[in-house]
Amino acid sequence: MAAAVPDGGVKVLQHAMKLANVAIQLVTNNRHKTLSLQRQMMENLIIARARQEALQRKMEKRRLRLQEEANRSFSSSTSLTPEEQEQRLLYGSILEYEQDHDWPKQWKANLKKNPNDLSVVSGLISCIFSCPEHPIMKLLKRLQYRIYNKLYPIVSKVTAPESPSTATCRGRNMKSSQSIHCMQSVQENNKTNSTKLRHSLSVTSLSITEDYNANTCAKEQTQTGQSTKEPKLVVSMGEQDSSFEDLEQFLSQFECPSASLPDLSKPAVDVDPLIHKLEEGVLQAHLRSIVKDIHKSIDRLLSLYILAFEPLNMAASKDQCLASIEEAFFPPIWPLLLALFRKVYGHRELAFEKSMRLYRNAKPGDVGVASKLCPSESASGSCPYESAVQELRLISKDCCPQKKLECIVRTLRLICECAEEYRTSHEPATLHSSAAIGADDLLPILSYVALKSDLPQLVSECAALEEFIHEGYLIGEEGYCLTSMQSAVTYVESLHKRGALK
Amino acid sequence: MAAGGTGGGNKTYSFKVVLLGEGCVGKTSLVLRYCENKFNDKHITTLQASFLTKKLNIGGKRVNLAIWDTAGQERFHALGPIYYRDSNGAILVYDITDEDSFQKVKNWVKELRKMLGNEICLCIVGNKVDLEKERHVSVQEAEGYAESVGAKHYHTSAKLNKGIEELFLDLCKRMIETAQADERAKGNGSSQSGTARRGVQIVDDEPQSAATAGGGCCSSG
Repeated sequence: MAAAVPDGGVKVLQHAMKLANVAIQLVTNNRHKTLSLQRQMMENLIIARARQEALQRKMEKRRLRLQEEANRSFSSSTSLTPEEQEQRLLYGSILEYEQDHDWPKQWKANLKKNPNDLSVVSGLISCIFSCPEHPIMKLLKRLQYRIYNKLYPIVSKVTAPESPSTATCRGRNMKSSQSIHCMQSVQENNKTNSTKLRHSLSVTSLSITEDYNANTCAKEQTQTGQSTKEPKLVVSMGEQDSSFEDLEQFLSQFECPSASLPDLSKPAVDVDPLIHKLEEGVLQAHLRSIVKDIHKSIDRLLSLYILAFEPLNMAASKDQCLASIEEAFFPPIWPLLLALFRKVYGHRELAFEKSMRLYRNAKPGDVGVASKLCPSESASGSCPYESAVQELRLISKDCCPQKKLECIVRTLRLICECAEEYRTSHEPATLHSSAAIGADDLLPILSYVALKSDLPQLVSECAALEEFIHEGYLIGEEGYCLTSMQSAVTYVESLHKRGALK
Repeated sequence: MAAGGTGGGNKTYSFKVVLLGEGCVGKTSLVLRYCENKFNDKHITTLQASFLTKKLNIGGKRVNLAIWDTAGQERFHALGPIYYRDSNGAILVYDITDEDSFQKVKNWVKELRKMLGNEICLCIVGNKVDLEKERHVSVQEAEGYAESVGAKHYHTSAKLNKGIEELFLDLCKRMIETAQADERAKGNGSSQSGTARRGVQIVDDEPQSAATAGGGCCSSG
């Protein structure tokens, strides 16, 4: 029995041990399994890493090879400027991009096949600009961002939120100080116009009475300036793409330039004349340097394009390319750019505004339009040259200089059409072209249209356009129209000083 | 940088010519005559007589002329400089029956020489020779004056279409000479893109490369 019990006990024990063994086995097996699994995974990892490294080495080799290829394209130049160096790097990355993507090659082939088809050129460029990963697009954003970064602090100094007190101070001061600044603009005109008006006496006498006002206002301004500081740039100087979103966000504030921007031009004017002069000098220097930067940026983009797509190196396609680049380049920065122009030309805008108010109800004849080119009294209803006025008002809608220029050209064409219409209504029989409209007729009408446009910012728009008009357009119809518009605008500015209506 | 690609011998010269003159001297009729003479009315651009273009072929050289009319009224005088900057030539018109208009021409000559130096080709034009009987500006005085300032003098009648073709042809030849001398002086500086802003542009010989968006008013082809 005793044996039986142990026997049974042994059995149980054995069984238990078996179970335990199984359990142990299971556990160790599992451990083995996980271990081997881990080992395998490790091995895989190592292999993967090795592969990755190999791939990287390959990529690096390829990059170097492409870079060398890029360098060869620049081989002629012995000493490289930093810009050339950068260009070289960029070209390398373009080549790299083209190895990974097929579409640029297709465009290249297409370009070669249709070298004279300008729609291919614009198609290619819009294709690149819609592809954020392309090195040219990256450069575009970087350059835009750089300009923006320069513009923002200058423009925002004035955009800084103002307390109600400064606002009212400004408003009050605006009215009284206007006279000073208009005088000033007379003086400035004197220099260029060599007319012999002398207003310096009245300027000094006026400025004494206004000094107090101006000083208090200036003080308040500096206070608010300090308290708000310049709003810190959210975006760092590092030129990451992500920061560009901030730019867009910021710019959305300026979406409607005609509504929010007029304030920007004014504060520059309500400090006392000396400070104003100094400030103006500084602003002008800023403006010049930014204009230069923009030109440089566009040149860089253009030469990069031509480098990447050789067939573009022809006069016509180059122009098309340039136009497309500008169309992409300007819109995001234009509102800020215009704001700066408006600050610099604020005093001229004021003069324009003054004439505009003075001549609100003027008829074409009042600014010297020949009576044969005015609508006959009976055919009233809309204001004379209404279509041209409406067209001109659209100029602030576009954000690209080229488009604005086209708007001015259309305005002048409409003027000619209207004038022709009015004349034939006076003397229907004669359609002889010797009576066609020349500059003697055009300028008074254009002045009238500018006056009726209600757009003091026309002054700044024209000044900006002059900086960015293409050289090729300078002596053509576009150049002529812009020059005429500038003349008309300058004439309108001077109108309020000429006293009584003529 | 890549060269401009002006390899071929066929060049197109683009010249800007300003038209100066007092209100009633007939400068508008003058250019209209010039541009409408060979061609019909349809060639007047959408800007009518204020801005005209003309294509010429002079001894195998292509010339694109852009003729800029300016306002003659006194109140627009101050704005002259922005019109005539970068001009290659200027046509200064006076009315031979109006002494005053000749004085105005003298003023412009002074201003142009001061602002643009000797690079601009000046033409002084006595218009309305059909009214010879009422002449108030003597031929000797006018021609003497022109010579003294390095300008050429012409007599025209827009009404009779006299002397206009010669005037423009002569001017174009002189502008080409000036441009060529300029090129030589610059040592064939094709890489100097900065020069493009002043006046002469030498463009590849492509049909529409130099045409303005509005389309030239005239074409010689």
